[in-house]
Amino acid sequence: MKEYDVLIIGGGITGVGIARDCAMRGLRTILVERQDLTNGATGRNHGLLHSGARYAVADPDSAAECIKENRILRRIAANCVEPTGGLFVTLPGDDVGYAGTLMKACHRAGIDAKEIDPAEAIRLEPALNKSAVGAIKVPDASIDPFRLATANAVDARLHGATILTYHEVVQLLRENGSIVGARLRQLDSGEMVTVRAAVTVNAAGVWGQKIAGMADVPLTLLPSKGSLLIFGHRVAKMTLNRCRKPASADILVPGDVVSVLGTTSSKVSIEECDNIRVTSAEVDELLQEGCALAPILAQTRVLRAYAGVRPLYSASNDPTGRSVSRGITIIDHELSDGLHGFITATGGKLTTYRLMAEQVSDMVCQKLKIRRRCRTADKPLPGSEKDFFPAEGNLSRKAAAMRHGTRSSQMDFDSKSEVLCGCEHVTRAEIAYAVKNLDVHNLVELRRRTRVGMGTCQGSFCMGKVATALAEELGRPEDADRLVAQYVQERWKGIAPVCWGESLREAEYMRKLYRK
Amino acid sequence: MRCDVVIIGGGLAGLTAALELQRAGRRCVVVAGGMSLHETPRAAFIAAGGVFLRGDFVKRGEWKGSRLLRVWTRNLGSEPIEAKDFILATGRFFSKGLASTMDEIYEPIFGCDVRYDKDRSAWVNTDFFGPQPFEEFGVETDGCGHAMIHGVAAENLYAAGEILCDRKDIEQSALAVCRNII
Repeated sequence: MKEYDVLIIGGGITGVGIARDCAMRGLRTILVERQDLTNGATGRNHGLLHSGARYAVADPDSAAECIKENRILRRIAANCVEPTGGLFVTLPGDDVGYAGTLMKACHRAGIDAKEIDPAEAIRLEPALNKSAVGAIKVPDASIDPFRLATANAVDARLHGATILTYHEVVQLLRENGSIVGARLRQLDSGEMVTVRAAVTVNAAGVWGQKIAGMADVPLTLLPSKGSLLIFGHRVAKMTLNRCRKPASADILVPGDVVSVLGTTSSKVSIEECDNIRVTSAEVDELLQEGCALAPILAQTRVLRAYAGVRPLYSASNDPTGRSVSRGITIIDHELSDGLHGFITATGGKLTTYRLMAEQVSDMVCQKLKIRRRCRTADKPLPGSEKDFFPAEGNLSRKAAAMRHGTRSSQMDFDSKSEVLCGCEHVTRAEIAYAVKNLDVHNLVELRRRTRVGMGTCQGSFCMGKVATALAEELGRPEDADRLVAQYVQERWKGIAPVCWGESLREAEYMRKLYRK
Repeated sequence: MRCDVVIIGGGLAGLTAALELQRAGRRCVVVAGGMSLHETPRAAFIAAGGVFLRGDFVKRGEWKGSRLLRVWTRNLGSEPIEAKDFILATGRFFSKGLASTMDEIYEPIFGCDVRYDKDRSAWVNTDFFGPQPFEEFGVETDGCGHAMIHGVAAENLYAAGEILCDRKDIEQSALAVCRNII
């Protein structure tokens, strides 16, 4: 049995952020995740690096955190961030007073917001609703959550952390009023593993409620489902927000070769979270609202729909959920429940993950009686150390540099130059690198690490050859068919809710290609 | 242009019908938009004197009551093709025999009646490899293979192949239509 200083449960952005921070402070760190990294809300959101403007009016503290972290992430995660800028747009019928309120709130929070002429906004973004009556420019950006989480995990490992994916916590170990580790079950083999740690951090997102249950401490989360649509083009260069109180489908974020529209917001039960699906009604709602912001969306192909679940926290004395904050929540169960060695981190946002990880790691260090300063805001993530974009080189090298930053120099473009995914320009060299360095065992994981199959064709045309290449790199060439079947089934989950028009055409084609 | 039968679609159903009708002495024109994978039957059809309009699409038809008189294609422009009988064998969604929006599934050339579920969420099965409802949707016909339009069977427009609503064998459905024409 291995002994650690800290055990982190959950491989979302919060968990890997904490793992990186703790490992950089020299703690013996282990992170365990039931599925693949980024499998929950981390991989199912807008990919928006908030300026904080969206929260400025209602939640000024979160807004101030957002803008501070926004600046830090541009610096430390340069190859995960695309500095698109953002617009808040007032449409006819929206409360015209809100723009003024938003401007004041942004300035109070330290967000560089600037009112511009609506005609200028339409010149900048021709896809915008031409009847816009007001526009505010803010420093929003798009951020790739897969890349960000992967870079954090890579850095945690480089600093000595252990990361175990596909290991589910089945029991927390308790000794003398203290949590001292966990029993894990390896998902495929069923093998049981025991991990001992001085401090255990529950960063399991919406599943954190179950983990807290294993520790017999109360934790009431209000799982909130958010559905989004991916469109097959970048219809705008900047992130487009509706200038009004936050509501459904009022943010459109460009990222890589697509645009993401979202989100809806509805309560779901904790039981539903393992198999969340987007409904037709949600698709209709998203399209209707999205078209008000950018009418061109009505003619733009919807590639897929997906949904994540926000782990909103509610103080247990408020079952109505009125006091629900979207801010960072860190619970020291020693103070709240008299249980030593157990911390829950929940709530928060992708944009503020690093700050949340810093606060959790501070608490861990305090419990361990170690004084070490957080360095995650100063030290760039792997890949972003210096200017990562090659001035020279072909498209393959450039596409890989966009995704992996300086680490793309480790890829063998000379002998593995074949482009296997044409939409996203992924070469065999990148696949080999991902297998070797980024915990890739199947096509679903490969997609998250490299964007293979995330483009317009959704893998319809390339997955046969990608699977063959991956199976070979894994040393299991006979596995190619099984990998394809698993991938297609997973993709179908996102295509099925938006299966009409060109997507229905392609679905029929996919069936002819891949059905046994 | 004038012939006995215009076959719209140059896939397996269209070419099966074309060869069969040719054998029975009918002069056939095949209008084949999109991909044609069936090189051998296509070559046989042409060698026996058939007209194969590759990469052409029927845009519209002219009706007299429930009788189709002639059709216009994209490439022939203002020159229509007249025939006694017409076979619609344009396939399903991939080959554009059927088209869809968020709200409906339709047959884009003649507006034939399409059988499908009005509830969009029932178009697909969440198990990709299981039976897919959208593959059961298609044009409705009477007992003799005539396409239905607004609830009335067209006199001389038949439907064959994958475009049909009940999944029949592609070649058998084409041969059945030929028997009705001959």
